[in-house]
Amino acid sequence: MHDTMDMVDDPEYDEEEPSFSDPEDYVDDVDDDELLGDILREKPQEADGIDSVVVVDNVPQVGPERLEKLKNVIHKIFSKFGKITTEFYPEADGLTKGYIFLEYAAPTQALEAVKNADGYKLDKQHTFRVNLFTDFDKYMNISDEWETPEKQPFKDFGNMRHWIEDQDCRDQYSVIFEAGERTAIFANDAKEPITFEERARWTETYVRWSPKGTYLATFHQRGIALWGGEKFKQIQRFSHQGVSLIDFSPCERYVVTFSPLIDTKEDPQAIIIWDILTGQKKRGFHCESSAHWPIFKWSHDGKFFARMTPDTLSIYETPSMGLLDKKSLKINGIKDFSWSPGDNILAFWVPEDKDIPARVTLMQMPSRHEIRVRNLFNVVDCKLHWQRNGDYLCVKVDRTPKGTQGVVTNFEIFRMREKQVPVDAMEMKESIIAFAWEPNGSKFAVLHGESPRINASFYNVRNNGKIDLLKMFDKQQANSIFWSPQGQFLVLAGLRSMNGALAFVDTSDCIMMNIAEHYMASDVEWDPTGRYVVTSVSWWSHKVDNAYWLWTFQGRLLQKNNKDRFCQLLWRPRPPTLLSADQIKNIKKDLKKYSKIFEQKDRLSQSKASKELVDKRRTMMEEYHRYRETAQQVYQEQKTIRLELRGGVDTDELDSNVDDWEEETIEFFINEEIIPLGDL
Amino acid sequence: MKPILLQGHERSITQIKYNREGDLLFSVAKDTVTNVWYSVNGERLGTYNGHTGAVWCVDCDWDTKNVLTGSADNSCILWDCETGKQLALLKTNSAVRTCGFDFSGNIIMFSTDKQMGYQCFLNFFDLRDPQQIEDNQPYMSVPCNDYKITSAVWGPLGEFVIAGHENGEINQYSAKTGEIIKKAKEHTKQINDIQPSVDLTMFITASKDNTAKLFDAASLDHIKTFRTERPVNSAAISPIMDHVVMGGGQEAMEVTTTSTRIGKFEARFFHAAYEEEFGRVKGHFGPINCVAFHPDGKSYSSGGEDGYVRIHYFDPPYFDFELEA
Repeated sequence: MHDTMDMVDDPEYDEEEPSFSDPEDYVDDVDDDELLGDILREKPQEADGIDSVVVVDNVPQVGPERLEKLKNVIHKIFSKFGKITTEFYPEADGLTKGYIFLEYAAPTQALEAVKNADGYKLDKQHTFRVNLFTDFDKYMNISDEWETPEKQPFKDFGNMRHWIEDQDCRDQYSVIFEAGERTAIFANDAKEPITFEERARWTETYVRWSPKGTYLATFHQRGIALWGGEKFKQIQRFSHQGVSLIDFSPCERYVVTFSPLIDTKEDPQAIIIWDILTGQKKRGFHCESSAHWPIFKWSHDGKFFARMTPDTLSIYETPSMGLLDKKSLKINGIKDFSWSPGDNILAFWVPEDKDIPARVTLMQMPSRHEIRVRNLFNVVDCKLHWQRNGDYLCVKVDRTPKGTQGVVTNFEIFRMREKQVPVDAMEMKESIIAFAWEPNGSKFAVLHGESPRINASFYNVRNNGKIDLLKMFDKQQANSIFWSPQGQFLVLAGLRSMNGALAFVDTSDCIMMNIAEHYMASDVEWDPTGRYVVTSVSWWSHKVDNAYWLWTFQGRLLQKNNKDRFCQLLWRPRPPTLLSADQIKNIKKDLKKYSKIFEQKDRLSQSKASKELVDKRRTMMEEYHRYRETAQQVYQEQKTIRLELRGGVDTDELDSNVDDWEEETIEFFINEEIIPLGDL
Repeated sequence: MKPILLQGHERSITQIKYNREGDLLFSVAKDTVTNVWYSVNGERLGTYNGHTGAVWCVDCDWDTKNVLTGSADNSCILWDCETGKQLALLKTNSAVRTCGFDFSGNIIMFSTDKQMGYQCFLNFFDLRDPQQIEDNQPYMSVPCNDYKITSAVWGPLGEFVIAGHENGEINQYSAKTGEIIKKAKEHTKQINDIQPSVDLTMFITASKDNTAKLFDAASLDHIKTFRTERPVNSAAISPIMDHVVMGGGQEAMEVTTTSTRIGKFEARFFHAAYEEEFGRVKGHFGPINCVAFHPDGKSYSSGGEDGYVRIHYFDPPYFDFELEA
């Protein structure tokens, strides 16, 4: 390789280097746009930057020593929406003024910031107000003339509570059958279910009613849909790919959906909380596993929802969806928690920690005041059981007393309505299979023992703390307890492996009203009024005999409804009654008057039904007899052929050819009797 | 009613049949044994020995002279009823699924399964022509289309055979020409059993699609349907009342989940005109494979998967029972 040399000096380099300069008078015919278009686009323009600027108000006013930290926090929050190109923190008297300017790389990012960060609660005293810079201009220049905003068409879904107005007070229930292909809504009539609505492929997996019965939620690959109103029109749709579980807030304002599919670090999507009326996504959360659904537990009025993560209890408030008091509760070792169904009280328990005994704590929200703490010793496990009105809490404690090997069970009964929440303990000698509070009363039922010797015991909690054993039934075939939602009555059921044994009990005097069986029953569902019970054999658990049976609360079987591949029946919940306690008392007083009217109505409809049935049968019988007569005629006409085929022997009746019969006497051994004749 | 229990088989019963006068009850099972019993007290009269495979079907002629059985050992045997002697052994290429004597007792038909490359055939032999038996040459052999015959009975006068197929079809095959005279497709799944009424004017079909249907024998008009939640293995029409009895089972896979149900497999009684169920009789330890009414209508029998045949004599209330109409 040559050393580089100045070419011109090379004697061998003869040719003149072509000149690359333009001739003197050459006019460019390529304009700047074509040649430098891409660079020109990025040329900073004077008026441009304004669209990408946002103004953030209510920023804490800090001095120079905290400025760096403030800037970091702001940056962290606002860089979520885009790239921040410039930031300006105006100051006065050594402190930041309380508002800042942020410039983004593009106007769309600024818009995102306004949409999402406006209203962001930094801390107790500072909630950001975020606006586009250009908005100030816009608002300043608003014309003085008022233009009425365009009316959005009102989506009338009809009367959302239509089903409650049924003249005959029939409750509705949903039935999924044909292995999920068809879903139907029936109105419950004692004679036979009346089809209200039936659709194919309404849901892809199963359905859920909202807590007050207003909506029916169906599941689809792309999300869930809510249906309601008189005609079950689609009210709202929530897009959540691969949704598998949902939960409603008790007030029916929010719905929580869970999908195991998409979940990115930046944009948590596993659990999403939606506002039902507007359809807006309120907030998304991470979720590792859905093992204990619902992950978020709602307080009874829908004001708070909480979830438990290792050593932490996070409580959020609505409608902001922010953490209450901006921080979670640190509770070391927290194992389980639940809300009182009647008040905003949280109950949770922590196991033993070195020399601190295990304890159950009742905490008032939002004050975080600990109402009651109960220490427990040698605890293996605890389960919290609230009575439906929040009047009582039962903590089932499994303990291994010192010096023993076995596990004993205690019930710690908290009487919530009394001052200082007194607690009484009750020891249970046998292992517990099931426990259930009377929904609106002071009784509870327990199934205990080991199969096959399972016992059912009924207790009552008295005001002075005494827990009376009302009655114990032994050798029961039961593994589940189902109380009527109105209390007093319950069904003891032996589901699945116990072949569907049922016992109907009246706990006012602890009498077994009826014992029956629905072979291989997999579910028991009370209607919301407590008048009827449905036992069913679901195709999901047993592939034959899929049906649901309707019983009265006393255990009288009313209907057997077979449905091809029946899967699930759910009663539609009723909203809480609008009557005051006094009004209810008055109605109960006049019950005799009302029942006369109802009985008459029932009698009329009964006779109508049996008349219908009788008429139907009469028609069928007449048709059938007519057919038989015609057939008989043809038969008679063919008699000669028959005689021919059988060589003249008349075989039309069994006694047609008596003359051919032979008589034969046969002896059969019937009985043996030994009569002793005494000594011979 | 206290049933008479017949214990003579070691494996599941495949078919039971009364003779025309009803004094004898024939039972065949998967254990290769063919039994005949006195229906009055359940005493066994005798057995017909000779088959080496499961016996699928049995029939007796109108005079109770001959007995015909078809077996999975690829043969159809004609027996002398009284002595038990084999009168004819007709070898086939595949298992014999269903067989029967015609009204006169002179012509026999049997169908063979679609197996091992062989199609399903409906064969006809005339017993008056001994040459056919000797040469094992049926006077007519009708091949069937794709869906094999699963059950078949003769028409009222021996002019045609009514056959039920694997896909739920019912066809009338002419006994003279082998042509299909009439068709009917009412069932959606396999026909497990067909039984005629005592006067042969109608017949009832039992199908895997959980229903049994009543048809007119000559026109194949569908008259009634009886619905259940389980596959129906067999059905029979009462000779004296407007009743039908049905015996059923379940999918083989489900047997283990219901095996704890001792003694709870039931025969169900339906009113023939109202299509409503009015009674059930428990007792079998396994699915019921075959039911039959005694020709006088005063008793009925059922044969089950458990290998037992149960004869039930009706109590007086049965005859007085009426559904409100």
